Amino acid sequence: MTSQQPVFRLEGVSKSYGSVTALRDITLSVNGNEYISVLGPSGSGKSVLLRVIAGFDVPDSGRVVLEGRDITDVPAYERGIGFVFQNFALFPHLTVFENVAFGLRNGKVPVAAPDVEQRVKDMISLVGLAGMEGRGVHQISGGQKQRVALARTLVMAPRLVLLDEPLGALDANLLHRMRNELRAIREKLGVTFMHVTGSETEALAMGDRVVVLDHGRIAQFARPDQVYGQPATPSVAHFLNRYNIFEGELSGKRFTGPFGMIDAASVTPADKPACAIRYDRMKVEEEGAPGEGPAISASFVASEYLGSSVMYFFEAADGRVIEVEHHLSLGQPQSFEPKRRYRLRWKPEDAIVFGRG
Amino acid sequence: MSGTAVRQAPQQKSRSSAPWLIAPGVLWMLVFLVTPILLIVYVSFWTQTTFKIEPTLTLQSWKAFFGSDTYLNSLWTTVRIWLIVLASTFIIGYPTALFVGLFVKNKTLSTVLLVICVIPFWTSFLIRVLAWRPMLGKEGAINILLQKFGIISQPIEALLFTELSVIIGMTQIYVVFMVGPIAFMLGRIDPNIIEAARDLGAGFGRIFWKIIFPLSLPGVVVGAIFVSVMVLGEFATAAALSGRKVNLLGNIIVTQVGSLKWALASVVGVILTIVMGLVIAGFLRIVDLKREL
Amino acid sequence: MESRVLKPVLAVYTLLFILFLYAPFFVLAILSFQSGPEGGPQFPIIEWSTYWYRHIFGMVPPSRIAPLPLGEALFRSLTLAFMTMVTSTVLGVMSAQAFRRKFKGSGLAFYLIVLGMMVPGVLTGLGVSLLANNILGIERHWWSTGFVTHVVYTFPFAFLVMLAILNRFDASVEEASWSLGVPPARTFRKVTFPLIFPGVLSAMLFAFTLSYDEFSRTLFASGRDQTLPLAIYGTFSVEIHPNVFAFGVLTTVFSFALLSVYAILMTLSVRRAKKVAMQEDIA
Repeated sequence: MTSQQPVFRLEGVSKSYGSVTALRDITLSVNGNEYISVLGPSGSGKSVLLRVIAGFDVPDSGRVVLEGRDITDVPAYERGIGFVFQNFALFPHLTVFENVAFGLRNGKVPVAAPDVEQRVKDMISLVGLAGMEGRGVHQISGGQKQRVALARTLVMAPRLVLLDEPLGALDANLLHRMRNELRAIREKLGVTFMHVTGSETEALAMGDRVVVLDHGRIAQFARPDQVYGQPATPSVAHFLNRYNIFEGELSGKRFTGPFGMIDAASVTPADKPACAIRYDRMKVEEEGAPGEGPAISASFVASEYLGSSVMYFFEAADGRVIEVEHHLSLGQPQSFEPKRRYRLRWKPEDAIVFGRG
Repeated sequence: MSGTAVRQAPQQKSRSSAPWLIAPGVLWMLVFLVTPILLIVYVSFWTQTTFKIEPTLTLQSWKAFFGSDTYLNSLWTTVRIWLIVLASTFIIGYPTALFVGLFVKNKTLSTVLLVICVIPFWTSFLIRVLAWRPMLGKEGAINILLQKFGIISQPIEALLFTELSVIIGMTQIYVVFMVGPIAFMLGRIDPNIIEAARDLGAGFGRIFWKIIFPLSLPGVVVGAIFVSVMVLGEFATAAALSGRKVNLLGNIIVTQVGSLKWALASVVGVILTIVMGLVIAGFLRIVDLKREL
Repeated sequence: MESRVLKPVLAVYTLLFILFLYAPFFVLAILSFQSGPEGGPQFPIIEWSTYWYRHIFGMVPPSRIAPLPLGEALFRSLTLAFMTMVTSTVLGVMSAQAFRRKFKGSGLAFYLIVLGMMVPGVLTGLGVSLLANNILGIERHWWSTGFVTHVVYTFPFAFLVMLAILNRFDASVEEASWSLGVPPARTFRKVTFPLIFPGVLSAMLFAFTLSYDEFSRTLFASGRDQTLPLAIYGTFSVEIHPNVFAFGVLTTVFSFALLSVYAILMTLSVRRAKKVAMQEDIA
């Protein structure tokens, strides 16, 4: 159960490198025993965010508060925050066992040798590496290195673990297994994880809540289903790779776009007017077929089979690409003729309208 | 949530230990390098009695230097030999650097070649200088070989105990310091650039002058600085190979110190420092080295 | 293309170049087998013999040729080189470590350190002698004034080597260590240092070699007792004999042996450090 106590908070954190602003006024509160995904494209500041929380970089302004204690000026080695690096950063001159035991053996507070033995052994079993204790770092695979990095951090019983694109170096098969294992391990230990990724599917799959970063600002912080179904800004909708986004004009609640006019029930506040429709909320109809609701004409280009769904690619009159997703659980895929025009229709309530309402 | 005031975090991490780490090294250099050099300048103005010097300031030693033809000649000789050796190490060393740095594709092979060039350094510097004597002398190896192949009928006398012998000796000893940096810079040239130029139809001559040579320039400058520093401060090679005929500024300092004429030695020291400073500053204008490092 | 002609031409040139570099050594080696004690350091070889090698070790009956003043001079050279090696490597590692972050005056500090290798030995030797003799009124010795001058010369080399090593060092292992609660000093001891050790070895070797053969600085700064190069220099103006050459061959062989030891040590410690920590690309 997610505890309602904030395990850490960021208040107004900003960080610039020279003329580049990486983080702008970040304010964030994360609870205990929670899995947080941080999603954003490169340049969004997600790695900087992690480094500031860990203490590797000092923010230009703002506070970092861990369990009620202001740690903004506390150096990294006194914060008790775990960090799993993208390249694992294992100690190449030490064995697996020695890597995991490193923090216990070399911290400020000495730990008795038998305790170290026990805790390290338990942790190595937990991450599924039993039997590998004596191996050198270059004698294990990528997935195993991942687990060593995890074990090394978790054995220190941190209150918070930061993971910087931990699954980035793994191949597809390993990816899914590791995702499940990460969640399982976290739940077992009850620690808060903060997991940075550039992959929207990963962010939505892993997190209890998702932080979406856009150019150094938090664009949205909500549950995955909320982010997926109600993106807070056109940028978020764009990151999710699941929305067709149309520009246009907004007056009052009336949006005028390349497909004509629609009246929105509500307008999500955003800097520029836009209308986003999810790929799987559009239906393909014959040109000229009768129908209700807004629609746009486009010619069929190609289709892509994705296993549980089919993606259809259309080209509108102005050259933009419109994607329509059809979940195969809802019925057989249709076949379309390339270069032939069709009508793409959607329900008005499925369109998310952005702008200054 | 953010009702609390926003703090300014300090710019530097509090555990910045850089000052402590750099202090010993800087201190050492200040005390044992900068102070001695400043001292040389200072002492050059001291009064020289037969075996002692006194801190009374005077231009006596300076006048002695500039008033003497021998000493002034040594200044010109030093500069002249420096220029010649610089040119010869460059001319002789560049093709080798070109081969090792550019044409040898295998990294291991180029490292091996460079190591081969460095091995001679393991024989003590002085002994290597000495070894030139039996090479250059009237009955030396070179003359023997040339006579054996019938190229000359009489031994060449000018090879030993002349300025030429000093130049040959210095070139051979210092040329490696030219080859190293140049080969290093050439090795860093992206082969794709040369490929692209060739595809565009440029001949090797043009590729060399427009691409290869300019890119190797930082290496040339580093090599030139190394060689210049060593040649300008030289005295051993001149002593061993020229039989007292060639008097470099370095030689004068050595002899003057030998007879405890500290003030005059300091004067020569200052002049040498100025020459070196000008040379290095001049080279550094050609290439902004800090960018390359 | 032209490189088909150019490459072999340059290859031949390089070969000639290498011969040019080694020529004195060949002559030296040949002449070291000159017969003695009458044989002089020039051609022709009167008779091939190992006389001069035995002369070095004092294994021949006394002649008018004085043996090289080895023994003590050698001891002093080795000790001095060792002291210099340790001091300049420590200074080099500390200074390079300081340069990992930008700090005020770093440009000045950099040039100040590098200055040490730019100033010729005659000048530093002269300056330190003045400092000792005329200002401080202390005596010059190889282990005091000689020592500090040697470090002035070798420290910049050690510094540049360590700078290059640390530049390529991937700091994420250090950050990992901090995140585990290990303070910076212990992180340096347990993580950074073991991984940069091959570089430290190079710096040490470099410093040792430079100091051992160092001559012009030592000339002024050593005072009465001589180091090895000074002892050899002493024989310059006097007649030289093939024993010097035999000595040269021996020292070269010795250096070669030293380098082999170093290469072995390097390979062993590199195997431990592995390329994993040095800028590993994520596949």
